[in-house]
Amino acid sequence: MTERASNSLAAKREGERQMLREFAQLDQSDPRRAALRDTIVTSHLPLVVAMANRFRDRGEPLDDLIQVGTVGLINAVDRFDPSRGLEFSTFATPTILGEIKRHFRDRGWAIRVPRRLQEMRIQVNIATEALTTELGRSPTVREIAKQTGLSEDDILDTLESAQAYSTLSLDAESGSDDDGPSLINSLGTEEIEYENIELRQTIGPLLEALDPRERRIVQMRFYDNMSQSQIAKAVGLSQMHVSRLLAKALESMRQGLDQP
Amino acid sequence: MSATPLIELHVPVEPESVSIVRTSVASLAARYDFTLDRLEDLRLATNEACALLIGLTGTAGATLTAVVESPAQGSLRVDLRRDGSSANLPSGDHFAWTVLEALVDQVTVTDEAGSVHVILTASGGLEI
Repeated sequence: MTERASNSLAAKREGERQMLREFAQLDQSDPRRAALRDTIVTSHLPLVVAMANRFRDRGEPLDDLIQVGTVGLINAVDRFDPSRGLEFSTFATPTILGEIKRHFRDRGWAIRVPRRLQEMRIQVNIATEALTTELGRSPTVREIAKQTGLSEDDILDTLESAQAYSTLSLDAESGSDDDGPSLINSLGTEEIEYENIELRQTIGPLLEALDPRERRIVQMRFYDNMSQSQIAKAVGLSQMHVSRLLAKALESMRQGLDQP
Repeated sequence: MSATPLIELHVPVEPESVSIVRTSVASLAARYDFTLDRLEDLRLATNEACALLIGLTGTAGATLTAVVESPAQGSLRVDLRRDGSSANLPSGDHFAWTVLEALVDQVTVTDEAGSVHVILTASGGLEI
């Protein structure tokens, strides 16, 4: 970098600091506030873009990530207190990241699903639970349609959209403690008894690679031979959620098997 | 009950095709009054079986064919096939088979005229 470029960068940084100080001192009702806020937000947008880029290829459009990240940035601008001596970028980074991660979590989806489907999912979940209790078995799509007033096609769309086939899993860390009750994590780990040694050799490492909740669900379904609705009841998740976790677990195990 | 095909799909052997087959089978299972448990199991099984066949090393540009019939009231038979040989499928103790067998009533693998079939038979879970 030339001296001149580095000087101009330093000047730009100083200008930004100056704006932030000025902004923090302005009264809430000051008419200059809004314009200054816009300028500050715009000048820090590259920070948001850089962070949104870290989460691309996870099934969410980059534009959406930039948008929620910008919300984080605006919050950071509003809450920033220059007198504490922290660089603004240091202060803003966790807020922006937080908004982006929350965006993934709030959806509870690995893929982007239209709002209408999300709303239908809630209806279908409630009806499924009620009917399972009422009938003493898992309901049919026709029965759910009758209960909810939704069409059978809508219900099928909802079920399909609840799946996580072929999508990348999000941060396993944040996924497992934030999406749904984590009862399953607290159930205590049981040693998985395999019926034969060959299976243990192929499957053991793949199961180990799953997060504890997925592992437990796979075990319940394939070793304890429990139905999805029985598992749902046992772990305190909706049947659809169990279905999604199973699909996701199988997908990641299959990818593991494909590795030489 | 006759076993006339309810649907017959021909799709390219590529990962993107799996959702077409999976969704069609799930849709039929709903029409055949499968309970949600059985429907989701059959959907998963179809997904796994398609993945097995697509993962098979074989001729490029091959076609995956899915034929779904109802061999008896309240049950469906999903016959998935493509060019190739069952010798190239994972061996019998592979986890994929454990999964498939747990998900549906019956899993059959056959070779026929240069094609390998994975046939899933599942019942809908309602008393008839």
